[in-house]
Amino acid sequence: MQVSMTVNGRTRTADVEARTLLVHYLREQLNLTGTHVGCETSYCGACTVLVDGKATKSCTVLAVQAEGADVTTVEGLANGELHPVQEGFWERHGLQCGFCTPGMIMSAVALLNENDNPSEDEIRHGIEGNLCRCTGYHNIVRSIEYAAATMRGEDPPASQWKDES
Amino acid sequence: MATDIAEFIAPTDLSHALDILAQGRHTILAGGTDFYPARVGRPLTEPVIDITGIDGLRGINRVEGFHRIGTLTTWSDLITTELPPGFDGLKMAAGQIGGIQIQNVGTIGGNLCNASPAADGIPPLLALDASVELASPAGTRVVALEEFLTGYRSTSRQPGELLTAVLVPEEFDDATSSFWKLGSRAYLVISVAMVAATIVCDADGTIETARVAIGACSPVAKRLHALEADLAGRHGDAADAVTVEHLADLSPIDDIRAGVDERRNAALHLVRRTVASCLS
Ligand SMILES: Cc1cc2nc3c(=O)[nH]c(=O)nc-3n(C[C@H](O)[C@H](O)[C@H](O)COP(=O)(O)OP(=O)(O)OC[C@H]3O[C@@H](n4cnc5c(N)ncnc54)[C@H](O)[C@@H]3O)c2cc1C
Repeated sequence: MQVSMTVNGRTRTADVEARTLLVHYLREQLNLTGTHVGCETSYCGACTVLVDGKATKSCTVLAVQAEGADVTTVEGLANGELHPVQEGFWERHGLQCGFCTPGMIMSAVALLNENDNPSEDEIRHGIEGNLCRCTGYHNIVRSIEYAAATMRGEDPPASQWKDES
Repeated sequence: MATDIAEFIAPTDLSHALDILAQGRHTILAGGTDFYPARVGRPLTEPVIDITGIDGLRGINRVEGFHRIGTLTTWSDLITTELPPGFDGLKMAAGQIGGIQIQNVGTIGGNLCNASPAADGIPPLLALDASVELASPAGTRVVALEEFLTGYRSTSRQPGELLTAVLVPEEFDDATSSFWKLGSRAYLVISVAMVAATIVCDADGTIETARVAIGACSPVAKRLHALEADLAGRHGDAADAVTVEHLADLSPIDDIRAGVDERRNAALHLVRRTVASCLS
């Protein structure tokens, strides 16, 4: 079947098998391997992308269901410079092994697009559909707080670790 | 051997969709959050009808004494729509279904048609006396949710019928309502037990009508009719009236998530907590 959608601002048209999941289309046909496949049961959230601005697990959507949609993957965030959420993960050590990171970042972007000043509880609620096996949630929350402050044009909260500024 | 979906159709028009469904071959796909996880590890070959593009099946409006919730209304839609207090319990359930990504695509109709004993949408809708609207080329029928759910993952939906809407009577608009769910962690969790209640009090705070439903403790979620009758006429301390006898009809299972006794005990406390939170 033919499918056409906007991915990271570019129109992409391709022939896919109807059964192709969006995540496989992104990874295998468009070579956008930043979106990860963790569990394939829509549980872990590593495959989270934005579909028309909403955080969506791309392992539970057929590519053909995204016909006409506007899809953003982690590759679409940086614009010459890192996106503030990416910068936050860098500055506040929001990752250990990095497997969940693209999904975490996309959920955080979706959250901050709707709420530019989330409380810690709201941040944790916003990433509840994403699992981190390294259990690095603490630093992920700090990373998102950093990003939220930067996006509001404020100074990010001071790091909790001594050797950083 | 077939390796691809035999046919994928995404109609935009309801009557076209009903004609396709009348052939009896297609699996209905809405948000897909029950559909895909049930098919992991095997090829997707069955013919599929994607209903998410059909006009007019999403959103909530008022029709002749009812709130009509279109089948494609997502949990996120429910949370962000302004609704009377009677819907608070349903909104609390919506906010605890999966995580944000699941709430963004998972639909109310999918939750009811999948009819899992652990479907969190079911107890709040039972506690609101909801009914469902089913459409086929022959016409539309309305069935009380309690009758629609016939058992473990089974419903009275006929092959070829499409659930088009959930109807909630306006009589509970000013009720207080609540929902409590117990799982092994706060998020992304299949309920060990969940309870919803809708309570209408008179001006003095005496309970006029109570609806209490519990899920995950029997093959299909149940209204606790005897408890509802005992709550009528009581006041702020009504939660004290809840006893194990009120839960006698339940048949909790023993599984990896909880044992029978734990489920029964949890059920009792959840029912008390839910009733109390409606009255506080
Ligand atoms: C990670 C994860 C966590 C989850 N957590 C929860 C949870 O906490 N609580 C909970 O209750 N559920 C949970 N679920 C299950 C699921 O998300 C919900 O049941 C959801 O509401 C299903 O809706 P859907 O639109 O995705 O259904 P689909 O998967 O599209 O469909 C479900 C079933 O209903 C049928 N169907 C759908 N729409 C219609 C219709 N209009 N007419 C006739 N048949 C129809 C389909 O053929 C299919 O059999 C979870 C799922 C996942 C993957």
